[in-house]
Amino acid sequence: AETGGRAGVMAEEAIFDFIHMEAVSYAFQGGEKMSEDEAISKLEHMGFATGYRLVERLTRESGRYKDELDIMKYICKDLWVTVYKKQIDNLRTNHQGVYVLHDNRFRFLSRMAAGKQYLQYAPRYLAFTCGLVRGCLANLGVTCVVTAEVTQLPACKFQIQVQRG
Amino acid sequence: MAVAGNYYFAIVGHHDNPVFEMEFTPANKEPKKEDHRHLNQFIAHAALDLVDESMWTTSNMYLRLVDKFNEWYVSAFVTAGRIRLICLHDVKNDDGIKSFFMEMYETYIKHSMNPFYTPNSPIKSAAFEKKAHFYGRKYLTG
Repeated sequence: AETGGRAGVMAEEAIFDFIHMEAVSYAFQGGEKMSEDEAISKLEHMGFATGYRLVERLTRESGRYKDELDIMKYICKDLWVTVYKKQIDNLRTNHQGVYVLHDNRFRFLSRMAAGKQYLQYAPRYLAFTCGLVRGCLANLGVTCVVTAEVTQLPACKFQIQVQRG
Repeated sequence: MAVAGNYYFAIVGHHDNPVFEMEFTPANKEPKKEDHRHLNQFIAHAALDLVDESMWTTSNMYLRLVDKFNEWYVSAFVTAGRIRLICLHDVKNDDGIKSFFMEMYETYIKHSMNPFYTPNSPIKSAAFEKKAHFYGRKYLTG
């Protein structure tokens, strides 16, 4: 649904929000048969497959990156703008393979009450994105683990741990 | 007028595996002997090391000429997703090869968007082969 940023086209954003919400409901409908971890893992895998294919298409315009930091900046700027219509607000790194991406108003959390009311449900809405980032990086040649942390909606942090060696 | 030449085109996946291969010969020549096929694969595979080396020196996708073996030149094109498109040719045809690579890149992107296609697996689509034939005729052999 995210076919680049055509100004004024709002319909595709709503569709993406709704499909994501429904995907989360669907993953969790297993009830007692499926644990929370399995459902989150399903969503993460969906994100991974999506990100892996998506990045091949999106990089057609932006070209190749030689540096790991350039790749991370691409994720924070171009990818986030294409998928979530905004940039990552803050990128931190320890220059040893750990990157933390701060999003102060994450799109999928912005429709819920701000604060701590829905904190326990927040991880469900971050799983797909963790997978998306992991998939994009995997196809760009960076093997990593992506986790997310929320302390107060709608802000969240994505942590990327690059696997070396 | 492009000089008529022979071309061998291959798309190489992340594990140095061929994902797609196709040969192009000029329309007026009769088909070549079979043993050239193995030699082409050998030359392309040997060139992968040089492709990997030169892809770090530039952020262009089109790497131009990376290797030469006897009378065969090897040109390469690398995408951001590190899919390598290799073309063996015995005549210089920079513009034609670049256009061919760009078109095959587009075709590959469309094919990789198919949810039933596993990345890095062999491409067995008749539509893809048709496109490759078409662009080969248009930009390579004429």
